[in-house]
Amino acid sequence: MKKKFLLLNLTTILISSLFVISCSKEYSEVIDYNKEYKIISGGSLINAMAGEPSNLIAMIAGDSASSQIAGNIFNSLIKYDENLNYAPDLAESWEISKNQKTITFKLKKGLKWADDRPLTSSDVLFTWKLITNPDTRTPYASDYQLVKKASAPDPLTFRITYESSYAPALDTWTSLHILPKHILKNEDINNTFFSRKPVGSSYYKLKEWISGQQVTLEANEKSISGAPLIKKLISRIIPDTSSQFLELTADNIDLMNINPIQYQRVFPARTDLQEKIELYKELGNGYTYLGFNLKKEPFNDIKVRQALNYAIDKDEVIKGVLLGLGEPISSPYKPGTRWNNPNLNPYPYKPSRALKLLKEAGFKKNDNGQLMRDGKPLKFEIITNQNKQREMTAVVIQKRLQEIGVEVSIRVIEWASFVNRFIKTGDFDVVVLGWGLSLDPDQYNIWHSSQQGPGQFNFLGYSNKNVDRLLELGRKELNISKREKIYHKFSKYLLEDSPIVYLYAGYGLSAVHKRVKGIKNPAPPAGIYHNNYDWFIPNPLRRNEISAR
Amino acid sequence: MLIGISLVSFFIMHLAPGDVTSTEASFNPRASEESRQKLRELYNLDKPVIIQYGLWLKRIVQLDFGNSFASHQKPVLWEQKDKSGNITKGLIQESLPITLMINLIGICIIFSISIFLGTLSAIRQNSWVDRSITLLVFIGFAIPGFWLALLLMYWTGVSNQWLPISGLHSLGYQNLSNFGQFIDLLKHLILPVSISSLSGLAGISLYVRNGMLDILHQDFITTARSKGLKETKIVFIHALKNAILPLITIVGLSIPGLIGGSVIAESIFAIPGMGKLFYDSVLMRDFPVIMGILTIGSFLTLIGNLLADIGYAWADPRVRKGLVK
Repeated sequence: MKKKFLLLNLTTILISSLFVISCSKEYSEVIDYNKEYKIISGGSLINAMAGEPSNLIAMIAGDSASSQIAGNIFNSLIKYDENLNYAPDLAESWEISKNQKTITFKLKKGLKWADDRPLTSSDVLFTWKLITNPDTRTPYASDYQLVKKASAPDPLTFRITYESSYAPALDTWTSLHILPKHILKNEDINNTFFSRKPVGSSYYKLKEWISGQQVTLEANEKSISGAPLIKKLISRIIPDTSSQFLELTADNIDLMNINPIQYQRVFPARTDLQEKIELYKELGNGYTYLGFNLKKEPFNDIKVRQALNYAIDKDEVIKGVLLGLGEPISSPYKPGTRWNNPNLNPYPYKPSRALKLLKEAGFKKNDNGQLMRDGKPLKFEIITNQNKQREMTAVVIQKRLQEIGVEVSIRVIEWASFVNRFIKTGDFDVVVLGWGLSLDPDQYNIWHSSQQGPGQFNFLGYSNKNVDRLLELGRKELNISKREKIYHKFSKYLLEDSPIVYLYAGYGLSAVHKRVKGIKNPAPPAGIYHNNYDWFIPNPLRRNEISAR
Repeated sequence: MLIGISLVSFFIMHLAPGDVTSTEASFNPRASEESRQKLRELYNLDKPVIIQYGLWLKRIVQLDFGNSFASHQKPVLWEQKDKSGNITKGLIQESLPITLMINLIGICIIFSISIFLGTLSAIRQNSWVDRSITLLVFIGFAIPGFWLALLLMYWTGVSNQWLPISGLHSLGYQNLSNFGQFIDLLKHLILPVSISSLSGLAGISLYVRNGMLDILHQDFITTARSKGLKETKIVFIHALKNAILPLITIVGLSIPGLIGGSVIAESIFAIPGMGKLFYDSVLMRDFPVIMGILTIGSFLTLIGNLLADIGYAWADPRVRKGLVK
């Protein structure tokens, strides 16, 4: 019995002593964050990530945490610049042959891996062989399998030839991280230490990775593009966003992604936070839509789809769900970019027009105000996955549709079940989901009528001969202005057919501590991160790393 | 027994639609269905469930828990060394010590505080002390942990900066002395441990209270009192000893609970423990990891039962001699 009490006493003493220790520490200093500071290198940036990266070899990984970290370590042949045009990365220049089938990349001179070994075209060739190797467990091989022949005639030249001209080719080479041949040639890429101890060529290299806690990157002095200004990037893994937010307000992290409520409600109300934290918004990379199962009655009728499109108030959805932090769209491309057709406008909110179209489609209101056709009411189920914004969107839509006499129910389903039980089997009426606003305009996999098999991405069952033709053309046309015309036309057909109701493209919102300087505001089309090697933290604003928690 | 448990869990797991190839990240037009089918074949996911179970069983009898399906391919249980000497740690190997540490500290705190509170309310039965203790432990039981956690994090971490908010180590952790590292860890553990202990207090302290009341009304206590023994001696030596006997069962039964963490607490406090590992692997349909955790869990449950029985026999001579059952 004595032992028990001893234990009890010990714990009490420990806990109380800890309180004393921690209370005794305090600091207060007034720092002016808004002053102009000289550009200086050094310091470290701490950000928060919700998920842990799984694998730093991007072709295998696929989760966003991994690509975020790996993007700081590896280079691709080319990249997008801040205005989303192609820019040199490892390749200094590239040349497309007359018949548009061959691309020749010229690598920059003197490229080095972080371990000081030279980076040559044989590494690029090796990477291409790796991703197209059937034993490599990558879901992204298909784009690169279209390359009929790849060669590295000299250390600075990499040449690929496609079976037929392939317009998204350059885009695919912006996302393929080049891997070092000298380390990986005898490794099994699927299960290698390299995925947790990578050696890259970009601004940063991995210093330390504590599982489930943090990933630390440090400046790679061998980087061909020069060393970054901030010497250390620390990514803490904090799954819960409210905890991230507390850490941000307590000054323990410098950067996190925030949600519309924090952006529109919390920050404006907290002057203490405004003093030290700067908010940034940029158009995100995805859009949310309401998609109809086109193989089912009554959605096979274009009038019904258009009517429902008129009956949904997109501005209301943006105001209600995103607190105004989103934009309505009318094509699957980022507003303001070349591929977006500026002459298209979203369907306006016009319930009377909707009712008229539904009447033309044969629906009549009964005594209860329900829309009926052949004795059956117009009623369907919206399904979506467990995503708060999508759930809220569905609720707003439900209300508007109920007003014109359409009965809507909502079901929210866990992701894996959602895909396997409903999407793959085609057993659904209407979905609320999202697609990426891709930088390359090719939408073949989503909208071509041949892509309707189970597990393929045209699961709505859209088929339009004109669209098929345009998508095929657009894949082969490398001339940018001709391509632009093709996709403007494609967007027009897609909007008219209304297989989906474009709801919104939300903004990506970030909160960054004001000690971090050099961030472009307003954010360029490529987002605030694209120049993170140019960010810097002036000396007086750096945190004391020993006392930082 | 273990085979039965694993068989049932294996089949229930496969009843849920989807597999590791249908994660949200793979819903990407760049990822083709052929590649996903290829992945399924590589992981034997295209075979009938019973054959998959056979393959799993064949490995497990050699204590090979396999590698995670998720893209990192980490070993499920223990570290592996590749030919050039790089060590990849196992998932359970990394998460288990953290969860075990938190739960062990938690259990010690729960039991010591509960025994104290239970005894106190028993000897002061129906007084205001008794009433307020009962009220307090029930509030602790009923209060939503994540809510209280966030409030406490704000109070101790943001407005007062006494304690760290989340994580297990501070940033400059490597530069601290051994003792400093220990203190740093303790400071990070205070909030998570107290939050997770709070809900456990109610059950056990009431258990102790009622057990104590039972014993205090028995004849041998009356005898002890009439012998003229001091009240403290009666309560703490004669009564408490008997009252906490049933706790042995509870301790035994809580052994499997030791390796299970709370998903919510671990997410809020950013602690990479078993709860989060299990939750994530279910969402990812990462079958080897799910099965690994379930197998170890059921094994520990069996061990816990056995230990409880042994402990009982050791503590109570009546059980040992077969007088009571």
